[in-house]
Amino acid sequence: MAEVVFFLAALGALAGAVGTVALRNPFYSVLALVGHLISLALLFLLLRAEFVAAAQVVVYAGAVMVLYMFVVAYVGGTDIQVGPLNSRTTTAGAILFGLVLFIELTIAILGTGLKALGTEGVGIGADGVARAGDAGFGTPEQIGELLLTKFLLPFELASFLLLIAAVGAVTLARRRGGLGDPSGSTITPLDLLRPRHTGTMAEGVGGSRRITSQEQEQEGVEAGVTSVRPDDEGKE
Amino acid sequence: MNGLAPVLGVVGYYEPWWIQIIKSIVIFALGLQIVPIVLLGERKLLGRFQGRPGPNRVGPFGLLQPLADIGKLAFKADFRPRTSIGWLFQLAPIISILTAAAAFSIIPFGDTVDIFGTPVGLYGVDVSIGPLYLFAFGAVAFYGIMLGGWASGSKYSFLGAMRAAAQLISYEVSQGLALLGVVMTAGTLSLTEIVQAQQGMWYVVPQFLGFLIFLVASFAETNRAPFDLVEADAELVGGYNTEYGGARFASFFFAEYLNILVVSGIMVTVFLGGWLLPFGINPPTFVDPFVVLGKMALFVVFFIWVRATLPRLRYDQLMSFGWKILLPLATLNALVTAILVVVLDS
Repeated sequence: MAEVVFFLAALGALAGAVGTVALRNPFYSVLALVGHLISLALLFLLLRAEFVAAAQVVVYAGAVMVLYMFVVAYVGGTDIQVGPLNSRTTTAGAILFGLVLFIELTIAILGTGLKALGTEGVGIGADGVARAGDAGFGTPEQIGELLLTKFLLPFELASFLLLIAAVGAVTLARRRGGLGDPSGSTITPLDLLRPRHTGTMAEGVGGSRRITSQEQEQEGVEAGVTSVRPDDEGKE
Repeated sequence: MNGLAPVLGVVGYYEPWWIQIIKSIVIFALGLQIVPIVLLGERKLLGRFQGRPGPNRVGPFGLLQPLADIGKLAFKADFRPRTSIGWLFQLAPIISILTAAAAFSIIPFGDTVDIFGTPVGLYGVDVSIGPLYLFAFGAVAFYGIMLGGWASGSKYSFLGAMRAAAQLISYEVSQGLALLGVVMTAGTLSLTEIVQAQQGMWYVVPQFLGFLIFLVASFAETNRAPFDLVEADAELVGGYNTEYGGARFASFFFAEYLNILVVSGIMVTVFLGGWLLPFGINPPTFVDPFVVLGKMALFVVFFIWVRATLPRLRYDQLMSFGWKILLPLATLNALVTAILVVVLDS
């Protein structure tokens, strides 16, 4: 049974990965990547790494890919196809970066010497029943403890990196005028309770300030996409 | 078979594979039984709230109305728009119903009991990751809605799906952070252990803010009024399921109501002490599932009550409420809880 699930998940992961790069329609590419990530989560589940599997699905399939899907669904429909780029430099660049990535991964795998690679997966004996001694491995408790002791610095650095990326994205969007006029945007407690230009009595009798055209543009579509961004931070 | 059994089955004890199969059938059947009752209850109660009798013609007191509805939906023509994308259009309701039923399986209806000498937990699985399992399936459920809206090839469906996506992703964060307080207080992620940790006091008392945040976020997560912008019928006809009819529409509908049951069950488990009763009342074990069902019914009635009472929010109000009020409150709640847990422990 475990073997069947393993091969199904492995095939799904490979097919998803190939589909992501091979499919011409960007929407299907994103879907293939989602399939790939869920298959990976299944493989983690087979190794009894339930927390990693759930985190994989929640963070990647549930947050990151959702944003991809947002962009692709808004920008390109079924009729917009991504054609192959027939430039010689792009081909050379693709091969170069593929090679670099491959070497990097090889170093990472050989260097750390992942001890579980050669085994049945930690915590499972030959008979398939969980061994009592290893019961703690891969549990949320142990992962949390490791993250806050042994891997504290890499963990914090990674979260800072994500924070910088999020702040950078907001700054870039603001410079292009995507987030409206930054001046006069001091937030008071009243604004939090009652957002401006909403259908209040004050607005009805002309007490509220006028809505600029830029702010009108920002409503709806833009507001939805940009305000979703910080979610990456929340998930990590 | 043994290879997979420990992965899905055990926390603390071993469960034979046949019990797991029986359990999965029971869970699905249970959901299939409760949803029509909730449906009828909603229509009846909505009728009462609006000063009309509600459905009362089919069967005694209109009790057979859900059956008639199901029959009507099942025998409708199986159509799809010409602009839709066939296999995705068919896949979407399947994803929705699958994830809803899977999420339903972690709700504990009671502790471990002995049936014919085999210990059986009155829940589908007691996963060591608890609430994360729920959020993982919630993440996949998003694709059911998204694909349904996108593959329909209709602008109304697409807009509904986009709203659903933004709404789900925004309120999921607050929902998770609200649960974090309880997880830290109980010191475990397992839902049955969270229930057992509430012997002295239900977590609704120490985690009242967390409870309120989770409750509000649940309305948004299940697309219920006043957060039902996904199917704002005045603007979007019917949201992501506009182009669906017959049995596929019924699947979406079923998944939606099953999700209401799931969040009700989670709230009962996490905040209202699951199968425990207050004031030291300790009924025999077979009463436990009915205690849980009774508490769930309270929440379901509350959901219906709110739908009949509150008007729908506007989209930007929904977004600013989620990000500017609910999320900071949930973060604050988690932070204060963490500090208190550390201070009271040492």
